[in-house]
Amino acid sequence: MFNAFKKLVYLVALLCFVVLTVTGFYPLLILGRSLYGYWVMAHITAGAIFGGCLAVLAILWAERHRFSGSDWPWLQRIIRPRTESQRRPAEQFGLMQKIAFWLIMLLALPVILSIVLMMFPLFGTYGQEFLLQVHRYSSIALTLAVIAYNPFYLTMVVGKHKMQIRIKR
Amino acid sequence: MLYSHKLRYLGIVSLILGISLVCQANETEAEKVRLIGDVSSGSGATAVHNISLYDKKGFVILPEVNFNQPFSTRQSCGRCHDYETISAGWHFNAVDEEVQGGRCGQPWIYWDCSTATQIPISYRQWPGTFKPGQLGLTRWWFTRIFGRHFPGGGAGIKDNSSQPALKDRWTVSGELEINCLACHDGEASHDQAEYARQISQHNFRWAAAGSCGFASVTGSAKELPDFQEPSSQSEDAPTVFYDAGRFLPDRKVFLDIVGKVPNERCYFCHSTKIIGQEYREDVHLAAGLSCVDCHRNGLDHMIARGYEGEAPNSSKPFAASASCEGCHLGEEEASEPTEGRLGAPRPKHAGIPVVHFDKLSCTACHSGPRPRSTTFRIKTSRAHALGTYSANKSDDTLPYIQSPVFARGADGKIAPHNLLWPAYWAYLSGESVTPIAPEIVKSVAGKALYLDVELASASWPELSEETIAAVLTALSSTVAEGEAVYICGGKLYRLVEGKIIAREHDAGRPYMWPIAHNVRPAAQSLGAVACEDCHATDKAFIFGKVAIDTPLVSDKNCVRKMMEFQDGDAFYASLFAMSFVFRPWLKVAALASCAALAAVVILYAFKGLACILKVLAGENR
Repeated sequence: MFNAFKKLVYLVALLCFVVLTVTGFYPLLILGRSLYGYWVMAHITAGAIFGGCLAVLAILWAERHRFSGSDWPWLQRIIRPRTESQRRPAEQFGLMQKIAFWLIMLLALPVILSIVLMMFPLFGTYGQEFLLQVHRYSSIALTLAVIAYNPFYLTMVVGKHKMQIRIKR
Repeated sequence: MLYSHKLRYLGIVSLILGISLVCQANETEAEKVRLIGDVSSGSGATAVHNISLYDKKGFVILPEVNFNQPFSTRQSCGRCHDYETISAGWHFNAVDEEVQGGRCGQPWIYWDCSTATQIPISYRQWPGTFKPGQLGLTRWWFTRIFGRHFPGGGAGIKDNSSQPALKDRWTVSGELEINCLACHDGEASHDQAEYARQISQHNFRWAAAGSCGFASVTGSAKELPDFQEPSSQSEDAPTVFYDAGRFLPDRKVFLDIVGKVPNERCYFCHSTKIIGQEYREDVHLAAGLSCVDCHRNGLDHMIARGYEGEAPNSSKPFAASASCEGCHLGEEEASEPTEGRLGAPRPKHAGIPVVHFDKLSCTACHSGPRPRSTTFRIKTSRAHALGTYSANKSDDTLPYIQSPVFARGADGKIAPHNLLWPAYWAYLSGESVTPIAPEIVKSVAGKALYLDVELASASWPELSEETIAAVLTALSSTVAEGEAVYICGGKLYRLVEGKIIAREHDAGRPYMWPIAHNVRPAAQSLGAVACEDCHATDKAFIFGKVAIDTPLVSDKNCVRKMMEFQDGDAFYASLFAMSFVFRPWLKVAALASCAALAAVVILYAFKGLACILKVLAGENR
């Protein structure tokens, strides 16, 4: 049940990410103008949900994405003469996936904060433009991180299902 | 051989002489333009004008010779200031078809309540206005009707390039020269209302003298027969009486001339009364600025109008600095810093997303009356003859101007506008509409109209569809091609089988012109309190109503939605405005998400740091 909930949150986040990417980049890159009209409304709505989902995923998945000794065998060899490899739990994520996960968590902060701070009467025009640039570039980095994370996760999920099918046979 | 050398030498000398003569001629021409009064010595003090006055023929006005002649500004002022250059200035050049009209401005409004007419006219090429000639108004008649609120020149000067119309009375009235004193007279006794009265009496040539504090004008050219030059023999002839005490022993008069035009001079032509709202002074004027601090000009009198986009599209040297951005943010093209001119503060615009500056003009938030659910009606100097002795002080007098209407301007930005719903009788041929002069309507269809009704408030007569049908029937008898129609309230009314049919037509579109005054203080601007100043379903900026002004009884109290003038999507606007109800929740949710993310990241960062430190310390776990 709890696993189903986690997967649901993940799927909702993924869906919102797709909406955010399309609404964020399409008007700018294809139409050649800044966000406007229904694009803005869809972007803001998806953004709010995406932020919430990220927070939930961060709480639920942080432990599983924690870096361990087996992620850095070369570092282990340098630091310790004898490396004791730890038994990998069945669902342990790979190093690249962990890196992508923490990048997502880190980048989500400026992405969300830059927009939220713009909603308060704190920053003047220059500040607003600066926050918009922060949002723009951190969004690009966040998008790349999410794209990097997902193939690994999907591969892992697919691989797990294949194993389960073989065991049943 | 020697002969050919001599010829060649002669040719070279002739060429040199010819070039030097041309240069001298050009130099002389340039020197002629720069009269003594047009070249500053660099002193900040205004030159004291103890000068002789001259009549239109150039004779000095002397008590014992021609004391009953009005002085001519062309002859008197023109001796030291280049009158020809000044006469090409913005206030005087409307009749010059080569002058670019720039952004649409306030038109002259030709109105007549008995024929239910209010129609915008202008000599400038402003879309939506008609040329005075299209309504049968010659320059003389234009000056007669509107000269009360323009400072002479332009249409006040007879057009010698065309045959004068029979009904013009230039011989009797004289020309209305540029009245320099209308702006530059520093005396408190200068009476522009008297100027307007002289115009109404057809005393064009005497108007400037009548308005100044050291002369009075009696008589009326209006009472004189056409084509009779006024002479002292006629009792009704206009006559000037100068205050002899103002004339110095050397026959000169002291004129209190000011270079920096006082605000009161501008107010006479550029005042606005908002019906139902008390007067609130423009924040710039309250801060001590004067009109001409922003609306500057040089000798050419090409006064800067001060709107965004004026500078790149005009040759006015002060246009760039005269706009809102020019003073408050500095000129983009300037090689030196220009921000902060006259102490203009740099706006912070805290919390305003930058997209607003792409979509809205500065005036959208800062200018005009703060919008209410329905537009105000306003009166302006030029439309309602404010400040004149005969001004109708009723709030219901024509023409009816609505304000503020937040509409998309020619530059694509939403700005506040004044709006006039044109109402006039016209001929329709195909899709082309030609207005009919009220005099023609009266002469042809007077029986169907309320010509004998004197409306004390000079407001609309109550027109019924039957009345319109009767008038159109009468007018149709005068039409060779096409048909007679009536335009009002945004619609075109045609007579079809004895019945009135209404339809949309471009001719019925309201005429709008952007407004920039009065500027409200920053704390009173839209958005200063909250985003919901505009982004709420009960706020006027998007969801307000614009009253449709029409004399047709059946269409009274009709309104249009403000967003129709913004080319916006009504559903989207409503949806977006409703979303602001949830905005506080959005902020809370976003901040909570950030807090959770930050907590997780920091916690695991510390955990990772702890692990690293243990490893480095040699603890092998």
